[in-house]
Parts: sequence; structure tokens; C-alpha cells
Amino acid sequence: MRKLIVITGILFIGGLITVAFRTEPAKPASYPILAKDSIGSVKAFMSVYKVLMSSRCMNCHPAGESPLQGDDNHIHTMNVKRGVDGKGLYAARCSNCHQAENTTGLHMPPGNPKWGLPPSNMRMVFQGRTPRQLALQLLDPKQNGGRTKAQLIDHMAKDDLVGWAWHPGDGRTLPPMSRPAFAAQVRLWIAKGAFAPSAKAK
Amino acid sequence: MITITVNGQRHDINGDPNMPLLWAIRDIIGLTGTKYGCGAAQCGACTVHLNGEAVRSCITKISRADGQHVVTIEGLSANNDHPLQQAWNEVNVPQCGYCQSGQLMSAAVLLRENPNPTDQDIDDAMSGNICRCGTYQRIRAAIHKAADMQREGAKI
Amino acid sequence: METNAISRRNFLRVSGLAGTALCLGFYFPANAQKEQLISTTDQAGFDFNAWMRIDTDGKVTLTDHRAEMGQGSFQSVPQIIAEELEVDLKDITVVFAQGNPTKFGSQITGGSSTIRGSYKNLLKLSATAREMLITAAANQWNVPAGECYAESGHVIHKSSGKKLNYGDLVSAASKLSPPTEVKLKETSQYKLIRKPLQRLDTPMKTNGEAIFGLDKKVPGMLYAAVERNPRLRGKLKSFDDTAALKVPGVKKVFKVQMFVFNTTRDGIVVVADSTWAAMQGRKALRVEWDDSGFEHVNTGEIFKAHEQLLKHEEGLSFKKQGDPDGILTKSAKKIDVIYQTPYQAHTAMEPLNCVAHYQKDKIEVWGPIQAPDWVQGDISDKFKIPKENVIVNMTFLGGGFGRKAFLDYTHEAVAISREIGGPVQVVWTREDDVKQGPYRAGISYRGQGALDNGEISALKFKMAGQNIDHWSNTKRGKANDSTTEGFLKPYFDSVKNISFADVPYEMPLPNMWWRSVYASTNGFAYESFINEMAVLAGQDQLEFRRKYLKDERCQRLIDRMEEVSGWKSKKKNEGFGVAITECFETTVGQIVKVSRHADGKVKIDKVWAVMDCGWYVNPDIIKAQVEGSVVMALGAATIHEITFKNGLVEQSNFYDYLMPRMSDVPDVEVHIMENTADAGGVGEPGLPPFAPALTDAIFDLTGKRIRKLPFNLNAV
Repeated sequence: MRKLIVITGILFIGGLITVAFRTEPAKPASYPILAKDSIGSVKAFMSVYKVLMSSRCMNCHPAGESPLQGDDNHIHTMNVKRGVDGKGLYAARCSNCHQAENTTGLHMPPGNPKWGLPPSNMRMVFQGRTPRQLALQLLDPKQNGGRTKAQLIDHMAKDDLVGWAWHPGDGRTLPPMSRPAFAAQVRLWIAKGAFAPSAKAK
Repeated sequence: MITITVNGQRHDINGDPNMPLLWAIRDIIGLTGTKYGCGAAQCGACTVHLNGEAVRSCITKISRADGQHVVTIEGLSANNDHPLQQAWNEVNVPQCGYCQSGQLMSAAVLLRENPNPTDQDIDDAMSGNICRCGTYQRIRAAIHKAADMQREGAKI
Repeated sequence: METNAISRRNFLRVSGLAGTALCLGFYFPANAQKEQLISTTDQAGFDFNAWMRIDTDGKVTLTDHRAEMGQGSFQSVPQIIAEELEVDLKDITVVFAQGNPTKFGSQITGGSSTIRGSYKNLLKLSATAREMLITAAANQWNVPAGECYAESGHVIHKSSGKKLNYGDLVSAASKLSPPTEVKLKETSQYKLIRKPLQRLDTPMKTNGEAIFGLDKKVPGMLYAAVERNPRLRGKLKSFDDTAALKVPGVKKVFKVQMFVFNTTRDGIVVVADSTWAAMQGRKALRVEWDDSGFEHVNTGEIFKAHEQLLKHEEGLSFKKQGDPDGILTKSAKKIDVIYQTPYQAHTAMEPLNCVAHYQKDKIEVWGPIQAPDWVQGDISDKFKIPKENVIVNMTFLGGGFGRKAFLDYTHEAVAISREIGGPVQVVWTREDDVKQGPYRAGISYRGQGALDNGEISALKFKMAGQNIDHWSNTKRGKANDSTTEGFLKPYFDSVKNISFADVPYEMPLPNMWWRSVYASTNGFAYESFINEMAVLAGQDQLEFRRKYLKDERCQRLIDRMEEVSGWKSKKKNEGFGVAITECFETTVGQIVKVSRHADGKVKIDKVWAVMDCGWYVNPDIIKAQVEGSVVMALGAATIHEITFKNGLVEQSNFYDYLMPRMSDVPDVEVHIMENTADAGGVGEPGLPPFAPALTDAIFDLTGKRIRKLPFNLNAV
């Protein structure tokens, strides 16, 4: 009986990952390619970077195994852990508290149907990454969940969980620019050649 | 109309679909073993199993449980003999006892998914449940004991 | 039914009627010097009028006259009674008493008094019942009572082996006069007492069966939530209930006034047909409060004011021997430091709640109540109904820690029931619980001490903080009664020059007792200071105490602490700290071991606690109480505090009033000293020594002395 449950669990996790990919269009829209422009591309990425490093994005892309909370990026109160699928562990699964939508009220759990961290085999850490490190990591299919550049744009521009950052519920600060502006900067970064900033950029 | 199966029994609930599962279980269905502690998913006193997962019923709307299976502390075992319940009794875990329904429901998920939990696994699974009496040390001992009992073939 | 036949000893009350059950209890007349023993037959059924009832079918029902809030009265009271009564715990039923000080004496569960306040009476009562049953059997067999003994609910005749069940003897026994003297067992004869028996309430706390206040349902009961003024004594300006009344299930909205000490707090109550509807209705209220004329104080100002008082005022002397001031002036080797402890909330896991049913000539309440006798008196007083018509029922308490030994929530529930004319359950939210207090007051201390040749030549302590007694306005001009609470008495024998004073500080923030009361704050200051004196003298902190605590029990306690903790074998990267405090007649010493882990953070590796509580009942419950006390002390020392901004509490729930969790707590090893001195308290004395022992361990490891609580353990 127990074995059966474990197996079901694994299948379920596999299913979740598949579903996560399927929510994005199988064939991404085609995006214009502009003339390569390393300065313009890096400039756009630096705007993207500011958003990714804002609390609403970074808190679920931590360096450690626990998500972060608040604008001070403290470790999530119950010391919850990523787990294999990024959805928590045992009695501390994300969806045990985080609903499909934000729960109303200050300090109440925010929510989204896909709430979670990146899975343990694709951790996509933001916290502590320099602009160059993060740009290279985002572009690397081995680290970004096998996404092409076009899929990467779609993910940032259209993914529902990413979009939560702009609808974070009562009392939470927003990323430093609107989502359309953010999406435009992502497109610009990639269209102009997807350059990574120099190692010195901060 | 929302239909929830609680401990194997079907309940039709006519009411605000936004009502937290906690209050439906306590005030409408009349099972009071599930406790209110914070109303904000902070303390775990209200933990029940929704399709096997240890959800915090104080912030889970009944609409989410529509057509689903819920198990409360009253349904954890028929005779208070889940290995965890036996171990809780042997180790004399509860003091005031108010948080213990939630502690047990959380521990049951841990033990189901990890029959041989380490101290770290127990920390990872149980840190969402607050005990103001401070019975944590005994909860830890009882989970280890229940795991031993389960391995030795005590019935689930 | 009772009769008033007074026996030869004048304080025994016995029954002269034949009946169906033997009931025994004490009688505590309001004006009597001493309690009286009552034995009564009861044909009308159990009316909770005694500690024990034995029915003709042999069924034994024991009464727990105190609240069960986790501390174990539900087990330890029966464990005492069953010992001398000679019945098996598995065969008895335990019920909670109703509030009735005439029948049960004081019922307040506070001051760690459940056992120490009742055990002698309970032992005597149980032995009396046993002797009466033995006499009844001996009479029936026509043999001397001395040839019979009692065991497992039976009387047995030694030589013949004849045996009678208690139930068969009840009728005859109830006609006997209770014996004047009964012989109690020696400690070595105990079969139940001093054994780590499993608690009787554990099974019902692992399957959801135990009924707490919030679980109490009464036919026709409605639910209520109250939006109260966030400021004590705050008044209502106006409210708009239009939206609230539109919430489905909401029945009625009105103003209610709750008594808090000698003052009141205004609130708007929403009554509905479910808890959720009441809470939703409450959220929809629009209320305007009048907060003019109230203190708009900030926490920082409170502690600054304390410091100024401690610096400039001598305060009210509480205790003084020798001439500490003179010595301090002359001494070269001395220290002068300030310690500060924060305001604390109780945050029992079960938020306050109360079911009340006001029926013109009778009022009944049910709830998590720590002081049913106080509640009975208060409700009788405020609603002008004779005490005997006020029925106060205790449920299990989901924690109390002092907060539920109060009268505000019960009074408010009755007031609401009166207004709606039916039974109602008033439910407090966690936010109500955190935001409204009363709190343990934040207190500051100044410690001054001098050394002469490595010996303490003078100690001078002053405290400044709100005094609980000042709410009743009767004790102004007199130092706080508990100024030395927590401080070990033997220091007064070994240090010639000591003084304690209380510098009064008034602030209308609601404050009250919190687990271990003043010892919880005093202990931190006084024992930290002893540690600082040891360091100043260049001596080991435990040896230093051994020199000054010459009392034999203290010496043995220190020996035990040293032995169990390996105090002398500490390694290089480890810090060891110590503190010993006494409150409610029990002394507890703790040793805390800390070390710096690979992640750079200081971790608490282990806590050893040694408790000397004299005569005791259940060692496992004692250990559990000390383990829990350490966790509560850990939270108060390192994780949470109540702060005020503009007179309002800044915290509201467990997201900003954080709690120790599974991953935060150290292993606690508890040892109990074996002796038969009078019983001391158990539920609270394990708390005060933890914070000073922890900060001492941190000093030992890092050289940094922490004098203000709470502090961030992660940043040490």
C-alpha cells in the first residue's frame, strides 16, 4: 500500500512538471530579431535584472533550499523546504497554505495554482547572482528548463505564476516596473542579441 | 451546494463557498477535533488531510474541497490506534493538547511519505505546527517511535 | 443530600441518611479558619459536591477541582486520590468541578498551586474514605478492622481472603462517622504517587475527543465576534452596521462593554449563526473610536523612562540588610548595570472564548476558565444574581499561562447573552488575543554590586515597571510584593549587605501575570547579575553559587547540576551558562550549553534542568512542564516581544509575534531531586532560570554579555 502511494507521488510530480511546460504555448510566437547591439541589449537586461532581483521574484528563487519572505528577504517562517518538485515537503507542501489565489488580508498567504519554487533539478537561483551570472543562467537551456530564447520571452511575458509578482496581494510591494514594460525589456534584451553584462556590472 | 466527503461520510453544505473549511467542519459538520489557532496558516492547529495533503483548513475555502475527500483527526484511525496516536500516548506528548490534532495530521503525512524520517525530516515536516506548551521534543521522540512501530508491522 | 450533624471534632460534617453513594469532600466555609471534611450520601445523583463519589455499582468518580490547561491536574489530582483510596486509575472517571469555593476552596489555577495547595487535604480525604469502607466491611464480617485492608476498589479480610467491592459497602460506609485520625502512607509505600504514569487525558487529546472551550456547543447557541477598542478604556464614538447586517447569518449588532480590571473596554458585537458569519460581519463594521485623552506611548519611551527612574530614584524599599549603599560608595571593585525584559503576550494556542447563557434568575457559563471560583463571584456581583445561581463550568483549556485566570472575557460573554436572551459563544481571534493583552509588563532592573577580596560585599537591586496590583488601586506607596520573587533566599544568609527596592512606574497599558509572573523577569536580572559578579571575581559561576547558597537543598541541587551536565568537562568551542531561581516553593537550576556551528551561528546544544519541588506526584508530568517552560522562556528571550507605537500594539498574529518551532528547540534533560519536603509548584518554576543561563552561556562562548531581552540568537 505504502509503495503504491510513493509511486503515485512520483507520477504526480512528473505530471506537474509536464503540466508546467504545457501551460506555455508549444510553438512560441515569433519575435523580431533586431540588429545586434550589445550595449542596448545589456542595458535592457539590467532593467530585467532589477525586476528579477525584486522581492516578489527573488523570494521564490532563493540560493538555499527555503523560500524567502518579505521585502527583507528573510527565510520563510516555517523553514519550509523546496522538495524535489519545488512544491514543498511532507506536511509543508506549498499548496497546503498557498491557495490558487491570494488569500485576502495583510500577511495572509499569497496564491497561484502553480505556487512553488523551481524544482531541485533546475533551481534557477536569483539570490546572490550578479547580472552576468543571471543572464548566462537564464539563457542556458540546461539551467532554464530547456527553454529556447523565444520560450524564455514567453515565460517572462505570459506565465501566470511570473505574473503573480504584479498582483501580489495585500500589503506587498510591486516589482520596479510594470509587467508590459518588463516584457518589453526582455524582448529587447533578446532581440538585440541576448548579451550578458560584463562581470563588473552590478 | 458544496459536497465534501469527510472521514468517508458525504456532507452537502449550503452556504458561503468562501467559508474556510475549518468552520464548516467545526460549526456545520460538528467535528470539533480540528482547531482554530490563528486563521492565517501560521500555526497548523487546523491541519486536515485534503486528498491526502496536510492543508491548513483555516484558509482553505470550502469551494476548494468541493467533491474532494477530507480526513480530520477523528478519522485518522478508527480506534485511536494509528502508530502515531499510539506513540503519542506512550511518550505522553500532549500537555494542553490543543495543537495536537494538527501535529498528528502533519506527522501522518510525513510518516506516509517517509517511513524512516531523520531529525531533519521531522524539522522540515513539522515546523509549520506551533505548540505553545513546548512539546516539540516529545513530538520528535513520538514520531521516531511511531516509525519504529510501523516498521515492526503495526497496522496502519 | 447533606445533613448538618456536626461530629465530635466539630469540623467534620457527616451524613446520617442511607443512600446510594458515598460522597466525600471538604467544606470551606467563607469565614472558617479551617476546612471541614464532609461525607454525604447522595440519592439524587452526583451533584459535583465532593472530590469523590463511589456508587453502589462500585463506579468511582473523582473530581478535578482545578483547571486542566496542560499542567496535568487531570492526572495528578486523581493520582493522589487513587493512591490512598486504593482504587485503580483505569476504573475511575474524572470530571471537572464547577466553580464553588465553598466546596473546593480556592480553585484558581495559578501560582503553581494545584498540588502544593491541595495534596495534604486530598491524601487525608482519600485515606478517610478508605478507612470508612474498611470499617463497613469489618462490621459486616464481624472482624476487627485491623484484619482488613483495601486494594483495587475492594476490601479484603487478610486471613479468610473474603472480599467485598467498594460498591457493596457504600451504603453502610455512608452511615459511619469519618474517623478523626487516619494514617497516611510513607513515600516508600506509594504505588501510584511518584510514578511516571500516563496521563488520563492523553488518549482524548490524540483523537479529537477532548472538549476545549471553543468546542462547547449548547442547544440554540449563536456565535459572536467583537470589534473592541484597541485602547484600554477607549470609548466608542459611532458605528455603522449596515454592511454587517447584510452578511448572511448575521442576526444582531450592538454595543457591549467589557470590564477589564477596574476599567472598561468598549466593543461592537456581531452575533450570527456561525463563527465565520460573525467574523465576516465584524469585518464589515465601520467603527469610529474616541481615543482622545489616552496614552500614545512608544515602547522606546517606556524603557527610557525606566532607566531614568533607576538612575535618579531610590524607590520604595522592599528588603534591606546591612548597608549596601555605604559599601558601594567605598568599594573600588564594583559593577553597575541595567537589565531589561520586554512586554510579553500569553498567546495560548486556544484563543479566548466563552459560552454564556443568561436566564433571568440563573446564569451558566462554559469555557476555558482558569479561575471558576473567581468567575462565579464576579458574575454574581456584576449581574446581581446569587452565587449559587451562577454555574461556572470548566472545559479543557488550550493553554492558559495566566491569561485565562481573568474575568474580562467571561463577563463580556454574559453581557452579550443577556442582550440577545439566549446562549452565545464569544470567539476571540488570534489578533484580539495578541493585540489586547493584558501582557506581562516590561520591567527594567538596575543591579549594583561590590566585591571585597573576591567576596560579595554588597548587592543592590532596583526594579522599575508596571505593577499588577496597581490595577486594584489599593497598594500605592508600597513596594511590589514580588520584588524578590525568583531570588534565592540563602543569599540573605551569606551576603551581609543587600537591598531590594521598587521604583514605581505607572502606565495605563493592561498588564497581568504571565507564567512564573515576576520571577520570569526578576530571575533574568538577579541571576545574570550573580553571574557578572562571579566573572568580576574571576571565579567559576557554579562554584561561586556553591559558596553563597549554603542551604543543604541548594548544595545538593548544585552537586546534581554539576554531575548531570559535565560542567567541569566543557570543551574549547563550547559555552556553558548557569542560573538558579526559586518561585512557588520550588528551586530550579539550569545549565545551558551553546556552541558556534559551521554556519557561523550560535546554537543551543543542550539544556539540563534540575528541579527541587519537594514531595511530588508524577515525575513525567514534571519533566514535561520543565521542557515546556524552557521552550516558552526561549521564545520570550530570543524571538518575540510586544511593542507599542502611539499607544497601540504593533504585533497581531504569529507572523509578527513569532513562536519557537520544531527546528528551534534544544534538547532539554530534566532531573528531579528526591526528598519529602512540602510540595512546591511545578508548572512555572522551570521558566525563570533559562534566559539568564542562556545569556551566561553566550558570554562564556563569546565574551558578550546580553542584558536586554529579547535578543536575536542568529546575530550573536
